[in-house]
Amino acid sequence: MIEKEDSIISEEEAAQYDRQIRLWGLDAQKRLRGSRVLLVGLRGLGAEVAKNLILAGVKGLTMLDHELVTEESCRAQFLIPVNNQGQNRAQASLERAQYLNPMVEVKADTDRVETKPDEFFLQFEAVCLTGCSRDLMVRVDQLCFQHNIKLFCGDVFGYHGYMFSDLGQEHNYVEEKPKVVKPKTEESNDGPEAKKTKIDPNETTMIKKTACFCSLKLALEVDWTNEKAKSSLKHTPHFSTTQSIVFSPFVPLFVPTVLLKFRTDKGRDPHPESFEADAMLLRQIRDDVLEAMGLSSDLLPHDFVSYCFSEMAPVCAVVGGVLGQEVVKALSQRDAPHKNFFFFDGMKGSGVVDYFGPK
Amino acid sequence: MVTLQLVGSLRKELADSLSTCRVLVVGAGGIGCELLKNVVLTGFKNIEVIDLDIIDVSNLNRQFLFQKKHVGKSKAQVAKESVLQFCPTANITAYHDSIMNPDYNVEFFRNFMLVMNALDNRVARNHVNRMCLAADIPLIESGTAGYLGQVTVIKKGLTECYECQPKPTQKTFPGCTIRNTPSEPIHCIVWAKYLFNQLFGEEDADQEVSPDTSCVLWDGDIKRVSTKDWARSTGYDPVKLFNKLFKDDIQYLLTMDKLWKKRKAPLPLDWLEFVILSGCVIACPQGVTGTGLKDQQVLGVGGYCQLFSRSVETLHSVLADKGDGAELVWDKDDPPAMDFVTAAANLRMYIFSMNMKSRFDIKSMAGNIIPAIATTNAVIAGLIVLEALKILSGDVEQCRTIFLNKQPNPRKKLLVPCALDPPSANCYVCASKPEVTVKLNVHKTLVLALQDKILKEKFGMVAPDVQIEDGKGTILISSEEGETEANNCKFLSDFAIRNGSRLQVDDFLQDYTLLVNVIHCENLEKDVEFEVVGDAPDKAPTPTRSQEEGKNIANGNKESSEPSTSSEGVQVNLTLMTFSLWL
Repeated sequence: MIEKEDSIISEEEAAQYDRQIRLWGLDAQKRLRGSRVLLVGLRGLGAEVAKNLILAGVKGLTMLDHELVTEESCRAQFLIPVNNQGQNRAQASLERAQYLNPMVEVKADTDRVETKPDEFFLQFEAVCLTGCSRDLMVRVDQLCFQHNIKLFCGDVFGYHGYMFSDLGQEHNYVEEKPKVVKPKTEESNDGPEAKKTKIDPNETTMIKKTACFCSLKLALEVDWTNEKAKSSLKHTPHFSTTQSIVFSPFVPLFVPTVLLKFRTDKGRDPHPESFEADAMLLRQIRDDVLEAMGLSSDLLPHDFVSYCFSEMAPVCAVVGGVLGQEVVKALSQRDAPHKNFFFFDGMKGSGVVDYFGPK
Repeated sequence: MVTLQLVGSLRKELADSLSTCRVLVVGAGGIGCELLKNVVLTGFKNIEVIDLDIIDVSNLNRQFLFQKKHVGKSKAQVAKESVLQFCPTANITAYHDSIMNPDYNVEFFRNFMLVMNALDNRVARNHVNRMCLAADIPLIESGTAGYLGQVTVIKKGLTECYECQPKPTQKTFPGCTIRNTPSEPIHCIVWAKYLFNQLFGEEDADQEVSPDTSCVLWDGDIKRVSTKDWARSTGYDPVKLFNKLFKDDIQYLLTMDKLWKKRKAPLPLDWLEFVILSGCVIACPQGVTGTGLKDQQVLGVGGYCQLFSRSVETLHSVLADKGDGAELVWDKDDPPAMDFVTAAANLRMYIFSMNMKSRFDIKSMAGNIIPAIATTNAVIAGLIVLEALKILSGDVEQCRTIFLNKQPNPRKKLLVPCALDPPSANCYVCASKPEVTVKLNVHKTLVLALQDKILKEKFGMVAPDVQIEDGKGTILISSEEGETEANNCKFLSDFAIRNGSRLQVDDFLQDYTLLVNVIHCENLEKDVEFEVVGDAPDKAPTPTRSQEEGKNIANGNKESSEPSTSSEGVQVNLTLMTFSLWL
């Protein structure tokens, strides 16, 4: 439970956070200020999320990454100054991350996340995993679920990206709605309605709500072959040929599924330097997944694999923006969270929210 | 399988063209910082960025290239330096300047493969729109407000230009609502800002604060002294000022009893009653807690009486220090100016039976503040670059208008791409021979008003030249300073302009020619100086709920292109929480 720590907000905070307090309110800002977040992975997407959370004014952000800065990292990420090759990525990002907002406690941790004991995670209100294997994400999610820690995952693969959130069995939040102005009655005994005090049309009221989330494990245990799901017409079209538009709820999961399988098999993401070999493996995995999903391969652009390499900076910005805002919403307990996946296709500019998991 | 060469995520040909082309980023604020970062990381090498503004502490929650130590410095300059920290090989030119400066002519724009706007006001957007049309360079437009955002692409001949669709103008209120019968807090706030100008700033005939007798048939005494003169005559005595504005003037309004037949009558205030007799220095605040922001407290009436008095004294002494003929300019970030408006507006709200508001809320309304966060700007800036890549790949037909919503729509879309519309045939900017018809009274419209209110304000020109199509090519207005100054205070009819006359208007900087047809009209609505035929009548736009058809486009919290740190216009920011919007 995120407490509103000290009730006082300093002049400095009020001045710096003015424009966001005007949007989400002082209460939300205080809850953010009481929250500690763990961010795993400081590549392109991680850097975006770090920036967004630090600017939002969380209490602390721990950036965890065991990888070293490579030449490619310099191009990929704006927190790492040049000439930091060979340094740990989290460490190299620390200074510029801290500069973003001195009021946040920013830390760098160079360990492998797999080696962290369970207790390590318990110090955080939210955990955000990027660049992690599917198994690791499932494991950390189980742990977070048990301890009421908000869990987020996200990745960017070339032009594509996704994020997942698990806010626990019962996530409580508020929504601000305009106050309903009662319809004007006919002349009452008191005299014409107009003579009464005017109700400010901008007045709002807070409504309490609850959302339920499922674990990542359950979310990914979709039954591809379920006839009902395959023929569902309620979902948005994602791929289109010139003749027809195909409806399938699983299409947006396609790219993350293929790429996460690649990551598990190879222990890394596809790399432009090994384009030929990686593309071949991607196509193999693609065929397997398509078959399992019951989709035909002519639905995809035949060179789709070439759009999955590396992390595109603008795609990191989009996914990192949505993901960052979901973390802010969850910590501040304000506004309806997206349930439970967000998929972004940078080729089309489409971003959809969809739910996978038990009903 | 054909071998594909990738540089990062991009095909080699695209990566190569990125590293050689030049791009212009207009604005280095909320969207601009995010955009510069994306542009550089994506591989663009030759970037020019322009912004006239300096850094303010309220920018720091999202304009992440700036730190506290940079407050007061040029946004463009600091943004460039910050970017070079993580990408020293980027070739960035920064201009601390206004894009509307004539130095940035069509030739300047032609240097770029594409232009990306990161602006926050309509005037500059209109201008860049025209420059890009003139130079035939693709323009990527964008805007954000709170959680919402929008990106689109403008390409001459292929898509709508920024001005193809009429945009709702900022809401203004009739004089008698402000002066006689306010019914909403915003009316009182506008009144308070007018009052500031009348007392301390530039007096404006359109910003009267005293009771308006012209809107009611009234035989009473209509001879009244100017507010400033009156204030001077009393030495800006706060108590006298208070009693005039909040007691005497209100009592005067009460005598206009027609106004109060169906409306609740105002209650005059008396200084003695509220400050001295009430006893306490600051009367009990309404609903204060120790945990709120100081500014979010709502004081009692007594408190605002005190605040009024203090701020009048402070402002008067600042004005006096400046010497003869000095004028103050209202600025939301100037504490006594903000105090003054807070106090005056609240006192008026009290008088007219409205719930008073905190300084925090009044500042939002008076200062046209649009709440802003980093993440919305980050998403929009990402989308801008993706559109840019499509353009550079030669895939302009893949470009889209994309809306960012707060919640997914019924089809689960949070980001909604929509096809771009073709140019509007009647657009008075991008049509091949733009023409427009204006209704006005030729005997009452000054040449100066034509220039400032119609050509500059309404039609977005910066330096218009006007020729009358009278067979003699009479020059009515010249953009060269001083040349036609003598014409300014003459009426159009003095130049034989009448019903059916045609004016050829050129703006050479924007490479824009507009033919204006004049229709003489003697019965325009009250307070209306001119009307553009074919325009939707000015009214507050109703919020649209569907962005697919929604072309409802609002345009910025500022009517002028002044930097955010300077004072803003009096016009009110629309409540902009609609799905599709431009700011």
